[in-house]
Amino acid sequence: MGVVHGQEMVLNIGPQHPATHGVLRLQVKTDGEIISEITPYMGYLHRCFEKHCENVTYEQVIPFTDRCDYLASMTMNFGYVVAMEQLMEIKVNDRVEYIRVIMAELQRIASHLLGIGAFGLDLGAFTPFLHMLRDRERILDIFEMTCGARLLYNYMWVGGLSHDLPTGFVEATLNFLDYFEPKVDEFENLLGHNKIFVERTADIGTMPAEVAISYGVTGPNLRGSGVKWDLRKDDPYSIYDRFDFNVPVGKGMKGTVGDCWDRFYVRIQEIRESVKIVRQAIDQLPKDGDVHQAMPKKIRPPKGSIYRRTESPRGDLGYYIESDGSDTPYRLKMRSPAFTALSVLNEIGAGWLMSDVLGILGSLDIVLGEIDR
Amino acid sequence: MNEDKEKIISEAVEKALQGEMDAINNIEDRVTRSKAKAALVKAKRAKAVNDEDSIKEDDTSESKVEEKINFNQTVCQKISEKFPESIDAEQNDDWIQVKPENWLKIAKWLKSDEKLYFDSLQCNTGIDLGEGVLESRYNLHSMKHLHKVEIRIKISAEKPDIPSVEQVWRVADWFERETYDMFGINFIGHRDLRRILLPDDWEGWPLRKDYEEQETYHGIVVPKVKEGWE
Amino acid sequence: MTVDFLFDFLSELFADLVGSGPVLIISMLIPCLMLFGFITIYALIVIYAELKISSFIQDKVGPMGQGVGLHAGKWGLLQPIADALKLLLKEDIIPSRADKPLFILAPFMIFIGAFISFVALPFGESIIIADLNIGLFYILGVGSIAVLSLILAGWSSNNKWSLYGGMRSAAQIVSYEIPAGLSLIVVIMLAGTLNMQDIIRYQAGGIFSWIFFDNPFVPIAFVVYFISAIAETNRTPFDLPESESELVAGFATEYSGMRYAFFFLSEYANMFVVSAVAAACFLGGWHSPISGFMDSPAWGVFWMISKTFFLIFIMIWLRWTLPRLRVDQLMNVCWKVFLPVALINIFGVAIWTVIFNQ
Repeated sequence: MGVVHGQEMVLNIGPQHPATHGVLRLQVKTDGEIISEITPYMGYLHRCFEKHCENVTYEQVIPFTDRCDYLASMTMNFGYVVAMEQLMEIKVNDRVEYIRVIMAELQRIASHLLGIGAFGLDLGAFTPFLHMLRDRERILDIFEMTCGARLLYNYMWVGGLSHDLPTGFVEATLNFLDYFEPKVDEFENLLGHNKIFVERTADIGTMPAEVAISYGVTGPNLRGSGVKWDLRKDDPYSIYDRFDFNVPVGKGMKGTVGDCWDRFYVRIQEIRESVKIVRQAIDQLPKDGDVHQAMPKKIRPPKGSIYRRTESPRGDLGYYIESDGSDTPYRLKMRSPAFTALSVLNEIGAGWLMSDVLGILGSLDIVLGEIDR
Repeated sequence: MNEDKEKIISEAVEKALQGEMDAINNIEDRVTRSKAKAALVKAKRAKAVNDEDSIKEDDTSESKVEEKINFNQTVCQKISEKFPESIDAEQNDDWIQVKPENWLKIAKWLKSDEKLYFDSLQCNTGIDLGEGVLESRYNLHSMKHLHKVEIRIKISAEKPDIPSVEQVWRVADWFERETYDMFGINFIGHRDLRRILLPDDWEGWPLRKDYEEQETYHGIVVPKVKEGWE
Repeated sequence: MTVDFLFDFLSELFADLVGSGPVLIISMLIPCLMLFGFITIYALIVIYAELKISSFIQDKVGPMGQGVGLHAGKWGLLQPIADALKLLLKEDIIPSRADKPLFILAPFMIFIGAFISFVALPFGESIIIADLNIGLFYILGVGSIAVLSLILAGWSSNNKWSLYGGMRSAAQIVSYEIPAGLSLIVVIMLAGTLNMQDIIRYQAGGIFSWIFFDNPFVPIAFVVYFISAIAETNRTPFDLPESESELVAGFATEYSGMRYAFFFLSEYANMFVVSAVAAACFLGGWHSPISGFMDSPAWGVFWMISKTFFLIFIMIWLRWTLPRLRVDQLMNVCWKVFLPVALINIFGVAIWTVIFNQ
């Protein structure tokens, strides 16, 4: 940290702290209330994911990926499965693809609800958090109906899925969507257009687009800075090119482009877009098809490597898989979006007040499980 | 009868080529089934000879593969023109093997050149290739032109030095720290190279293949043999 | 009233036995003990109310079970008692590097500050422990003891976070006392006296003779006073000193058990005091809205307490609806918005009164 000057105080936020979204330690140098430097220390949740993956088979990796970003497990699985299927050149049938898209988009809604709710909680708005969690419970109920788990699913397998959709799934999902769509407007009004919330988030923590790209920030954080980049449209995987949806981008509606309010607003808009996608997917869902059809008996990819990115609720999730022809990976690296999002905290957070820094951290929506792996 | 059987066999083989083995497995007559399997093997061999992707038969993917091959080769050639003696291995379809010495200059050029404009480093992976050879792989991507390339740099485990590119792509700051933490690759010129996920006083480079855990860490015994943990 | 009344009553009985000194002490002690009992019961009620109201707002169920008769039910009425017992039985931890005398002194001081301002609150027509001539001024003055104790608590905990909380709260309370006082000047101008009972007697009559409706400038004064009161009691949206998500518990981070309970007991007590002052000064005190209807001295207590509880309900409602203001925005609102508004208000009321000669 270097020399601490007379007036400066070195403070630790965390590792045990209600607002750090996990076990994270931020060492801040403050001058009164203004923070001059932030150094994140992580690794409290490091569980040696990559080393483990070298000792287990390819199928056994999937539950490990669940536990990295535990708030968006479906998309973690999805990314791994897409990468593996591209490496092994397996094509799955349409029913599997549609179900995967439905699950991934429902998971995106659930993860954004939690992210926005926790952001409000950091700023002192206790009620929207509970309302959003109530709606997220309904999504978790739908997941529980499908695969039996509420948080860590192990649902998407290489070449297919673990379970087919149960009867009543389509009705339950449509009921949920009908109930949920007006709620998004309610959340936007309760939290987004609240004068105090706007004062706390507009013009705070502005991230210019070049800084965002250079620091490797992706996902809603990048879109909040005005860059229209969504892997579902720009580097499509699975069947996302069959759906009609917009990519919301921050426009600086309440302040400058790229401030905390924009990142919040992009997430709210993305929830609406995901609702659209789920509706279209349910309409087009093929009635028949075996979800276990393309699953190979033994996963033994050919020798080679692949790097494939998919869009998780936090950004670009990338899997770099190197295979040596056996049934365990030779090297598996997960490029996690929250890792790069946290690295930009010093750049955009220095110079603000303490309360603002916690607000900026909340607007980046990080999950420590993914950062530490 | 024979024509029907031929038709059944050819249909089943077609379906099997797309991955649906049930078509062949469902043929009841044993003789026909074995003939179908033989035909399948022949068809696969014929496809492999043709040097094309076995899944997608449409034109766009063919041209994409060709484009990718061409693009990789083009970038490789451009690098070797601008920085002679920097390419480590022969021209390849999937990646570019670069020598570590000129890496910083190459990186700066890759980012600033108008036609290439690789303005984002997507991922930096370290890998232990065994026999004392480490490698650092960079996946670069251009948001303007939407093309990507993979660059690999090989170094020996005794003297793992690679120039750091954290000034070029700021995301490399933490990526290189992680690769250093896990593999021990020393990035020269990095302003703050220290461990990121493990505690600062941890010994050893965990993701190397010959890694042995230390005996104790601050008095806590690090368990080696995991009997009875299944 | 009450102390004087008791003194007269008891000295008739006991003066020749023990002399007037002890009689004075006893006649002061008894109302204070009753007041202490009242505060305790009030604290239990308001904690329960906060839990239940917050659960309605947040779409939760809140405390359930522990019903009357201890069988499962919808009410959960024993929850506050369970909370109080838990806090009493907790281990009392004092950090080894903390400044021990100050650390122990701080919760007592803050409770004393809240308690002694109860002494001048009018509960009914002749039910007031000490009918001071300068009642309103006394309440405002004594309420500032809280500032000292918050700084003491923050400093003596030997914890940077507590220090932050203590400093913030000191700045906040000291700043917001000014608009609060200025708004009360409006009341003093109209009623012409600082005596709490006289202010209420000035508002005799129905609802339209309350000071709130006296003058179009007075509602502004009421709003300014009420919001400054929320800031003084450290409630959201001004709860930066104890903001949970930022500073864990701010100045009270290192306190455990009953000491922690004292801080939050005094916060609720303060809420009662400022709401009672607002009810007494602006909303007619122990008068009923329709003169003559339910207007005897006994009903006075009912009206006073229900008006106070109504204002407390609004405070609880605001806590769970709005996010928190940042420190500099808080100060902005106080010095750049409330202070000018309160000052202009005083002039407005004065000019209006002179013109319409009321």
